[in-house]
Amino acid sequence: MILFIQQILNGLTLGSIYSLVALGLTLVYGIMHIPNFAHGAFYMMGGFVAYSLMTKAGVPYWPAILCAAAVSAVIAMVSERLVFRALENALPLHHMIAAIGILLFLEALAHAIWGAEFHRMPTPYTGSVTLAGLSLPTQRILIIVSAFVLMVALNLFLRKTLLGTAILAMAQNREGAFLMGIDANKISLLTFAIAGALAAVAAALFAPINLIYPTMGELVIMKAFVIIILGGMGSISGAIVGGLIIGMAEALAGFYVSSDYKDLIAFAVLVLILALRPEGLFTKGMR
Amino acid sequence: MSTKKYLKTTLIAALCTAAIANTAWAQTVKLGYSGPLSGGGALYGKNALSGIEMAIDEINASGGYSICGKKYNFQVIALDDKYAPSETGINARRLVQEHKTPIIFTPHAGGTFAMQVFNEKEGFLIASYTSVPDVSERGNTLTVRIPPNFKNYIEPFSKYAMKRFGTKVAVANANHTYAKMWTEAFTEGWKKLGGTVVAENPMDYNRDTDFYSGVSRVLAAKPDVLFIGGPSEPTALVAQQAREQGFKGGFIVMDQAKLDEMAKIVGGLQPLEGSVGVMPLVFNDAPAAKAFIRAYEEKYGKTPTTEASLNRYATYVFAEAMNQSCSVDDARKIREAIPKAVAALPPELNTDGVEGVEENGAFLLELRFAVVENGQIVVKRRGDLLN
Repeated sequence: MILFIQQILNGLTLGSIYSLVALGLTLVYGIMHIPNFAHGAFYMMGGFVAYSLMTKAGVPYWPAILCAAAVSAVIAMVSERLVFRALENALPLHHMIAAIGILLFLEALAHAIWGAEFHRMPTPYTGSVTLAGLSLPTQRILIIVSAFVLMVALNLFLRKTLLGTAILAMAQNREGAFLMGIDANKISLLTFAIAGALAAVAAALFAPINLIYPTMGELVIMKAFVIIILGGMGSISGAIVGGLIIGMAEALAGFYVSSDYKDLIAFAVLVLILALRPEGLFTKGMR
Repeated sequence: MSTKKYLKTTLIAALCTAAIANTAWAQTVKLGYSGPLSGGGALYGKNALSGIEMAIDEINASGGYSICGKKYNFQVIALDDKYAPSETGINARRLVQEHKTPIIFTPHAGGTFAMQVFNEKEGFLIASYTSVPDVSERGNTLTVRIPPNFKNYIEPFSKYAMKRFGTKVAVANANHTYAKMWTEAFTEGWKKLGGTVVAENPMDYNRDTDFYSGVSRVLAAKPDVLFIGGPSEPTALVAQQAREQGFKGGFIVMDQAKLDEMAKIVGGLQPLEGSVGVMPLVFNDAPAAKAFIRAYEEKYGKTPTTEASLNRYATYVFAEAMNQSCSVDDARKIREAIPKAVAALPPELNTDGVEGVEENGAFLLELRFAVVENGQIVVKRRGDLLN
């Protein structure tokens, strides 16, 4: 039983990280209708920035996460301004190629600055809490709690503030939003910033129990795509639920079946769900 | 005016001739390298490459290596194969066709096997940095295997861990070619000594970095000892995950991972208490090794591992073998001259105590072990662990 609860905890940890990454991806998809492959690079840059600030500049953990979020937000905004905006009237294929271009560029940049090897981020939360024979590492609890706080905050922002509703409006109907006087440029810039910041926070939260390296975004972004397809492209609740499903599937499969097959099982879940609901779980959620 | 022009032309012609003569004078021998330079094995691959580069920089700084009375500079062409044997094969063809490298270094068994398919036909020598003995036991005539044979670690490792912790072992190591072969030999050796293998769950150390569920899977079988190993950083994470989940036993660490590099990742030796593995190079107090460690630290700003020291030594062996055979491009002649080259090299270069070369091309060297006892790395000899 204790083992089972530990796996559930691990699934929640993985799931909340995946959800955070998938949320950014789905937001950008919602307003731009492009699969932003560069999102994995925003995630990776966030991890590296937090790592450098902590190890080189001696910045404490939480401020380092905030700075990383800010830096990734700026990188995301710059890529929106310089690349995606310029391609506004181009074919969707061009957006995809550009997104892959940004991903490769940022990976090469990280490679040049920090090298290809693994880096380990220190964390002030190294201990673990023992509850009735169950040992819960503090950092993992922290990941779950922070991720859920962020998700609630994002939801409140989207539903209760003017800017947030403008994002939702644009996702639902671009032309309609224009007619209501919403500044599309400002909103898409804002969406990219939020997406970048979410990815960076996810990376910085996950990094202390993981490692930091230039290609760290690739595996995560692949899973985030699975999640938003599973949850319904552009759907916010879909990204959260999808993230948790994939996280749980991986954790339980890694434990009860074999860690060799855990990625395979995540994809099997995708195939199964899409076979039953080809439009994804929550397609109506946002669009 | 015309005299001036004439002079100018002569001058240019003279300069050109000098330049051509100069390049002809200091010829360059290109060596190939294909190994992981990104991903989970990046540090490991770079460590190996740094040793080759170090030897080459030393040779070139001293004006080149004298091969049959002629000075040659060296250069290494390094390609990333991301630890994938198929990529090593592609890289090797590229190195041979584009750069005509007579020797290709690779720090992994999978890549070596991939190149062995065609290296004799294409005529290049493989310098294989892997402890998998099969690499040199399959009858390939153009393979040199550099580090010690891993089979010799199994008995001392097992006896030490059994005596200190118990007879139940769980396998939670990596799943690349080398690790698979290690596991096979290890589980056999462990059982022969009266132990049992209670769980086997190899993981992808090269791509994954979250080992939580994989580790809890093997810990569920309540082992006394965990068998782990792969590149140092992921290996350290596996050890840490095990400790976080309450594992109190010991670790048997495969020779690819280095205890000192692992300690950096987990923040000290405390989590690694009870580990048995190979001796980190920094504990080697032979004068040649000490001098090398100092020079390496100055150049790269970090402590070297055996990957660096042995690959540096091997590079010198190849340069000397070229000298002994008077050939810089015939892999067969170079291979034949390797035993002579090992004997001819001065002891100041022999950082790891290479004693000779076996018939099949494997270097012979003494094994050194280390264990973590009371939060300290303690160096052990084979005899210490067997009793």
